[in-house]
Amino acid sequence: MNGSDAAPVNGSDAVTMNRSDTVARRRLDPRTLLVHCGWMGAPLGSLALTALATGGRITTGAWLTLAAVAACFALVTAIGLIRWARTDFRVTDERFELRSGLLTRRVRSVPLHRIRTVEVTATPLHRLLGVTVLRAGTAGSGDGAGALVLDALRTAEAQRLRAELLARAGAGAAADDPVLARFSRRWLRYAPLTFWVVGGVFVVAGAVYRTLHGIGIEPWKIGLVRRAWSAFGSGMLWLTVPAALLGLVALGSAGALVLYVENWWNYRLEWTDAHTLRVSHGLLTPRSVTIERARLRGVLLREPLLLRAGGGALVRAVAGGLGDREENRRRSALLPPAPRAEAVRVAGGALQSPFPTPESGNAGAPEPGASGASEALARHPRAALRRRRTRGLLFAVLPGTAALAALGAAFTPVLLHCAWIYALLSTAAVRWLARDAYRSLGHALRGRHLVIRAGTFSRDTLVLQRAAIVGWTFTTSPFTRRAGLVTLTAAVAAGEDGYRLPDLAARHAPALASEAAPGILEEFLVQPTGDAGRDAAEAGLRSR
Amino acid sequence: MPAYPAPLLRPPRHRVDPRARRWWTVQALLTVSGPMLLTALVPAVLGALFFPGALPWLGPLLLVVLVLPALGYLVAMPRWRYAVHAWELGERAVYAAGGWFWQKRRIAPLSRVQTVDTVRGPLQRRYGLATVTVTTASTAGDITIAGLSDADAEELSRRIGEAAQDVPGDAA
Repeated sequence: MNGSDAAPVNGSDAVTMNRSDTVARRRLDPRTLLVHCGWMGAPLGSLALTALATGGRITTGAWLTLAAVAACFALVTAIGLIRWARTDFRVTDERFELRSGLLTRRVRSVPLHRIRTVEVTATPLHRLLGVTVLRAGTAGSGDGAGALVLDALRTAEAQRLRAELLARAGAGAAADDPVLARFSRRWLRYAPLTFWVVGGVFVVAGAVYRTLHGIGIEPWKIGLVRRAWSAFGSGMLWLTVPAALLGLVALGSAGALVLYVENWWNYRLEWTDAHTLRVSHGLLTPRSVTIERARLRGVLLREPLLLRAGGGALVRAVAGGLGDREENRRRSALLPPAPRAEAVRVAGGALQSPFPTPESGNAGAPEPGASGASEALARHPRAALRRRRTRGLLFAVLPGTAALAALGAAFTPVLLHCAWIYALLSTAAVRWLARDAYRSLGHALRGRHLVIRAGTFSRDTLVLQRAAIVGWTFTTSPFTRRAGLVTLTAAVAAGEDGYRLPDLAARHAPALASEAAPGILEEFLVQPTGDAGRDAAEAGLRSR
Repeated sequence: MPAYPAPLLRPPRHRVDPRARRWWTVQALLTVSGPMLLTALVPAVLGALFFPGALPWLGPLLLVVLVLPALGYLVAMPRWRYAVHAWELGERAVYAAGGWFWQKRRIAPLSRVQTVDTVRGPLQRRYGLATVTVTTASTAGDITIAGLSDADAEELSRRIGEAAQDVPGDAA
């Protein structure tokens, strides 16, 4: 039974409190009583069905059932009423207190700073009545054993209380909570925002076609397909094409949803003890990966373009010992596509320090724990922007336009028009993407970590332990040398082994490298000649 | 932009052996330029024999697309490489520069060195050269110094081995 006094008695944090405080005690919502009558739905429903089926004639047995139900209702309501009257709670400056109990009075009290999770959940019945269950868990309480449960509050009040508790729970909340994250059905809306929406359909279609082809069936020769094609296909292109696209997206979304559910149902990320992080997930094939804290060298927050547009992100671990490249890719996932704020929280929890959330437009609500770490990252030189633009023009705009123009000149003027339209549209797209890529570029040193952000199709924010860096590579090409840029690669014995810091100012890169991971390249540094250079170099010596 | 002071990374002290230029030239001839020239030769000969009319446009096309790039690569790459490739064994780290168009400078601390391999391919042996590869726990930290003379390679791998033992660290 899920009564309002369900808060367990002997939780480790239960402390009897009888201090008279000025903070007012609050009651649960009266609608709680109705929630507890929910069990009557089944007998009453069957009774009603019986009455319907027999045309309104109610038998003696039915009357008896009804009487029993009524008696139970009276009893439950009476108990519920007393319970409701005798249950109250309050949030003082330091503690969260819940007083309950029918005959024996219990006061459970939890220091606010020990509260790690505050969950609000609602069954359909709760939702119908506009109320919510609030569950405040402490470290070590896991699934309910030590949790304070308020069943139920008005939804708005529950949300307010949750915010209140979390705000007071303090910055440490994310740092040493054993359970960092659990699966939430609301994340499913991010499933379609992956490559598989369209790509997956083509892959599956290709596989089906190949299979059919392999057993000797030509799909185009099946009567149904041919008739459908002749009826709709060629005649109404303006209808067929959008319909096909819509079908493609719907099919892809469904597929992505199924994959997401299969992969991530029962997802749970937790510190099993102080040194081990465990990720478990999977519906049909549950899998679980354990990462030693000593081998966890950093965290990667990944925001692919589509997912980013939807306000989502996913989190990967940068850890050693997960296997080869492919295995590492599969096993390093810490969080599936989920809301960005959640991703930031989880990343911070895995790092055990606030995840630096650099400015990123308005996406992502600021985390209470992450304040102070959200200064902007250091920008890269403008030459990086020019490089991105040039690359886009060279590799996306030029080939397509040239091909279309050549074909147009050879065959039909329609293609010539296509060529200039393509040139215009793709130039606009390239400029936008280049700008976005440039705005994404950034780096910073934050305490023990090096923060690198780069990418536009997949914007990756990497937070890497500086102590984990075991080597540096400076890569240049004639173009970057002319622009005064250099790409720095940090070698790490974890994750993808090398992490790139693209297009840094060549003048600053060596100093950054030596500051981020001291003791590797100092002996190969020289002071630049010239007065300005010497000043800078002296400053550099001092800083070391 | 934070005021990162600006010391610069100087190139490594020691150049590779001058014979490496010849090695790279032969390598280019065998792997890139040779096949490209052969590919150009076949249509040129066929064209000259059977379709003399095609030569006025086929000839320049082959020249621009295949012959000139092949010759350019053959001449430029080894010189360019020789200008770039260099190495140095510091007190605490190994430092190597390599590449030609895309150039790489890589530094790995001696405390992280796991193995030191010396490799002599059949071509390299002809010119008395060797390649020293220093591996670390991270594949992005492995250092390859190609085109050392046999003696240098021997000496270098011995010294790296010794130095790596002297510098404390778990190589992890």
